[in-house]
Formats: sequence, structure tokens, C-alpha cells
Amino acid sequence: MKMKKFTAMLMTAAMAVGTFSATAMASEDLSSFTIDPAQIPQEKLDTTLSVAVSVRGLENPYINTIKLGMDMFCEYLDSIGQKYEAQVLDSGGSNDEEINNMKQFSAKANGNAIAYADPNESAICTALVEAMAESGGYIGTAWNREDEDTVEDYNPNWVIHTSPDDFVNGKATATALFESMGGSGQVFVVEGLLGNTCANNRRAGFDAALEEYPDIEVVAEDTGNWNTTEALTLVETWLSQYPEVGGIWCANDNMATGAMQALDGAGLLGKVGVTGIDANTDIVEAIAAGNATATVSSNGYLQGGYTLAICYAAWAGLIDPEELPLEYREFATPATLVTAENVEEYKAEFVDASPEFDFSQIFWCKAD
Amino acid sequence: MAKENQAALTIQEEFANKIKAENRREKLIKWAPVLVLAALIIVFTAARGTAFFSASNLVAILNQWAIPLLVALGLTFVIMLGSIDLSIDGTVGMAGSIASVLVANTLNSNNLGIFGIIIAILCSVFVGFLIGLIHVKLKIPSFMVSFAFQNICIGIAYISYSGTPATITDPLLKALPKTSFLGIPFITWVALIMLVVCIYIQEFTPFGRHIYAVGTDETIPRSVGINVDVVKIKVFTLAGLLFGIAGVIGLLRLGQGQAGIGKDLMFPAQAAVVIGGTSLAGGKGGVINTIVGTLIMTVLINGLTMMGVNPNIKTGIQGVIILVAVILTVKRGATVISK
Repeated sequence: MKMKKFTAMLMTAAMAVGTFSATAMASEDLSSFTIDPAQIPQEKLDTTLSVAVSVRGLENPYINTIKLGMDMFCEYLDSIGQKYEAQVLDSGGSNDEEINNMKQFSAKANGNAIAYADPNESAICTALVEAMAESGGYIGTAWNREDEDTVEDYNPNWVIHTSPDDFVNGKATATALFESMGGSGQVFVVEGLLGNTCANNRRAGFDAALEEYPDIEVVAEDTGNWNTTEALTLVETWLSQYPEVGGIWCANDNMATGAMQALDGAGLLGKVGVTGIDANTDIVEAIAAGNATATVSSNGYLQGGYTLAICYAAWAGLIDPEELPLEYREFATPATLVTAENVEEYKAEFVDASPEFDFSQIFWCKAD
Repeated sequence: MAKENQAALTIQEEFANKIKAENRREKLIKWAPVLVLAALIIVFTAARGTAFFSASNLVAILNQWAIPLLVALGLTFVIMLGSIDLSIDGTVGMAGSIASVLVANTLNSNNLGIFGIIIAILCSVFVGFLIGLIHVKLKIPSFMVSFAFQNICIGIAYISYSGTPATITDPLLKALPKTSFLGIPFITWVALIMLVVCIYIQEFTPFGRHIYAVGTDETIPRSVGINVDVVKIKVFTLAGLLFGIAGVIGLLRLGQGQAGIGKDLMFPAQAAVVIGGTSLAGGKGGVINTIVGTLIMTVLINGLTMMGVNPNIKTGIQGVIILVAVILTVKRGATVISK
């Protein structure tokens, strides 16, 4: 009903003032779009909907917040009386496994499926989408996809693709690190998985910041493969060569944990700046204690929960992905830079308490 | 007649010469791992000079050596049997994760101290025992059973901290990885003590000799009344103990319990054992060989990191050096069956 009204408005506006303003008007309406449970057919509510998040490795605390986001969204489904089955598809970092998981999940659900997928690598993004599209279910992807891929290639099943802006986040943490060093000194770079889109973009962000600080010198760089132990080994080895290092930039918090542990072993904890991305609890605590410099919260709860909420609206027939303007299908999700300045506020909202979301406002997760 | 004698002598001589040559080759191969290690040290010292040989880097190498050594020690006995244990990544991660939630930590109010550590190690011992038992009694190849347990243990690790890794807060446990005695870090001491225990088991106990016997040809010990099944189960249980200790050491090093503690330990450990000279076919090699094998792997990674090799090609270079080391050190010949 609501959708019809919206379409009618869109058409009227298009006739009156042309397509551009029509999209603008539609966007305005969409930003406050709210799921009205009364509009969901009882038949849909009684159908068991398969819900999943497809991720790599629950050992990563950030990845776990995506799963928790799904749990929160499931509580919302309970509240509106939707029958569902939820599961985590853990690829353990394997491309093949992630594709196979998605194929099996979508095939058995017979079209009654929604999923959040964080493709292990950009190259497999469309394979995951295809698996879901073939079964008729709805999928939202995050972080990794090839540049030429667009959600419009798989209408209507590829509902959205979102990502925090890795370039911006990498640059923000690098800038915070360089500032904490007074704009000069030696730094170590612990990169993410080589070839991974977000690892590349975060590194590009770091490089962009580096250009603005000519007195900062990168003395050692290598990949820690997102892994705590590998980062620990790298930094431990580098420290014996460059004990004068002023800062360590890590592409995620898991690796920042390893870097801090290496510094602790060398008696340098708190004396050398460390930054990560993801806002893992231990790094947030370390920022509060003065042992780390900055991290970025990508808000996995929000990514997991809202992606599923938008896919749910598509499955329930409340929105038609094909009619959504592209800016509501491919967008950035909000990220917060956490530093000593705002760490206490951040802790109060996300660490000491669970964040709360209203999943009926499906586009609340859009950054701009 | 004279001619025939001459020919016979020649054959005898030839045989003797062949044996001598074989012995020489064997001796050389015995020392090859040490030569490979020496070559690596020379190359890295030449490239990075004092930095590679600095006191702080030697401490870093000792720190980085502890876990691979513990893991490879356990694996050595298993490989000496002619079996394989793929559970490493799981058991190590599980022991570290369980210990982290039992000692004082950020996730819950447990504070079992040393008992928490012991319980975690016992879990790993029990897993080792189960692997051995299922392998022997149900006659399932050890690599299948242990691979299944790798996954089971990773699952248990995830459950133990339910997604948010626990950071340890016990002041004693936090201080241990920073403690050293005679210039050697505490965690390396633990590995060295276990090394001595393993050497003792191998050289001075009937159990140690039985492992060789079972690995060479298990029908022989069976015929003299040795319970081969018990020997095998004991070996997997001992491996579980060493993996468990490695997990706890990993926890102390990271200060945080997570399944990732065991990640990617298995294949480097297999490589270290083989490069050291222990035969995958069983019955040959031993703990001493593993010391050199693990040192080669540790020094290799440390040196390449220090040289700042481009990360895009580092893994490839690592592979090539491992291949060269295997070619130089593994005994080959017509009598050795490759499988």
C-alpha cells in the first residue's frame, strides 16, 4: 500500500519537474521509511524465513558484532511475529567455503531467505549474490566487491551493497597517529590480508595521510593477515631493529592487540602510539588507559542488523529494490573515530551497554 | 681361476665402497639441517648485520621459537610412529581460549589462577587421548581423526569466550611473558624444560624405544608382546599435553585468549619436523632433529621479516627456502619409499 503511494508520488513528481528532483523527493521520503508490520501479509509472517550472516572467522571480535547485530534484528522479528531460523555461515576465511555455504543456505530456503554477506574477497562477491539470486532470496553485501559490480546486475535479489569508507578510516587513524607523534618520527605499518579490498583501501588511506606528513618515515611494513599472533611476531622483530619507533599503524584492531603486546614485552607500552580499526573492546579500553591512540568503530551491529532489515523489507514486499534510487542501494555506513577525546562516551554506549537500534527505520544506517 | 678371484674381490670391494659412501652420505645428511641453519644465520647477518644478532632480536627469536618448538615436539613423536596429527591449530587455540576464561580475565569473574591453566592443558591432553583412542580402536587413519578434532576444538574455543576474546588480568600471568632468567624468556624456559623431558622420554625410557619400534615395523614389537595400541595412544596423549602447553604459552604471549592462537601452526610444524630429519614414514629421526628444524623455521621467518622483503613475495620466498631445505636434508635413495 505504502509502496503504491510512494510510486504514485514518484510518477507525479517526475511528470511535473523531471527525474532529478523526483529522485531527490523519493530519497527524502525513503530516509524515514518505516516498516509497518500491519502491511506484512499474514502468509509471509507465517512462513519460516531463513536468516543468515556470511562471515569469515568468529574469532575476530568485530565479526562477532555482526552476528550480534543479526541476533538483535531477530529480536525485532520476534516482536512483529515473523517466523524465522537464524544461522551464521562461517567461511573461516575460505572463498570456496563461503560460496558453498551460501549455495546450500539459499537452496534449502527456496527463496525465503535473507542474508548479510561479507565476501572474503572481492572476486567472490557476485558468486555469493548469484547463489542467492538463483534461489529467489534477498542478499545485502558489505565491504568487498569488484569495482565494476553493481547491485543493478542482480535485480531485485541483490538489494544493497554498503561499506564503511575504508580509505577515510585508514586516513583518519593514520592522521591521529601522526598527530600524536607531533608530526615526525618512524612508523611501522601492519597491513591486512594482501589483495583484500578493504586492506588495500585502508592502506591507500594511510598513504594519503603520509603524503601530508613529510617528516613521518615508514621504516617497516608487512602483512599481519588480520591475525594477532602474526602482528605480534612482526612488531617484536622490528622493535629490535628500530627501538626508536614512534607509532604503529595497524589495518585492524586484532593486529593492534598483537602490536601492543609486543610493545609491552619491550617495555614500550604507552610510549609508542598504536592505531587499529574495528573498535574491539580491548583496544577501546587501551585508548582509555592511554596505551593506544585511535581506532574506528565500523559498528558491526548496525551493519549486520540493518542489512538484514532492508533485505527483510524487500522479501516482505514492503520495498521494491528495482525502484529504489541507487544511492539507497549502494551507500556508506557510518563510522566513528574513537580517540582519547571521545573514548568515554563511546565506552558508555557500546562497551558498557549494548547499543539499541530501531530496525523498523531501515535506512537509518545510511551515513549521509 | 685367478681371474674369477679378482672379479669376486672387485665385487666385495665395490660393495664395501658403496657402504662407505652411503655412510658418508648419511653423516652429511645428518649434519645438513645444521648447515642449512648456519647458512641462514650467515645470510641474515650479512644482510642485516648487528641488528640480526642484537640481544633484543635474539630474545625475539627465542620468544618466537617457544611455541613452534612445543608443537613440533609433540608432532615429532607422532611422526616417528608413522602417523600424523592435524589437530594442532584446534587444540592449541582451545587450550589458550579455555585458560583465558578460567583465570582472572575481562570477560567473567573466574579466577582459578594456576588451576585454570592446568584444567586447560588437561582438556588438550584429553583430546590427544581421544584422538589416539579413536585412531587405534576404530582403525581410522590418524589424519582423519585429528583433522576432525581440529574443527571440534576450534568450535570449543569459540564457545568458551562466545565471540569476545577474554584479556587476562591476573598480574602474575601478565608478568610471566616479560620475565626472563639468565637472559632467556620465561616462555622459552617452559619450552626448553619440555624439550629435556622429551629427550629423556625418547632416550631413557622403554616407551621411547617402543615408539621407534612401532614406527619402524609394528609387527616386530607386537610379536614380542608390546601393546602397540597403548604406545600409540600414549604418543597422541603426550602430543596433546605439548599442544596444550603451547596454547597456554600462546595465551601468555598474546595476553588474550582466542581460537586464532593456534592458527597456521600445523604445516610449519610438519615442515620443521621433516626438515630436521624425522622421516614421515616413521621410525627415524627424533627430538634433537626437531630442535634444528624449528630453529630453521623460526630464524627464516624472523630474518625475512627483518630484511623487509616485500610482503607480496615473502611467502613465496619462504616456500622456496623450505623446499631447498627439504631437498638438502631429507634422506632419499632407492630404498626409501616416497608416498
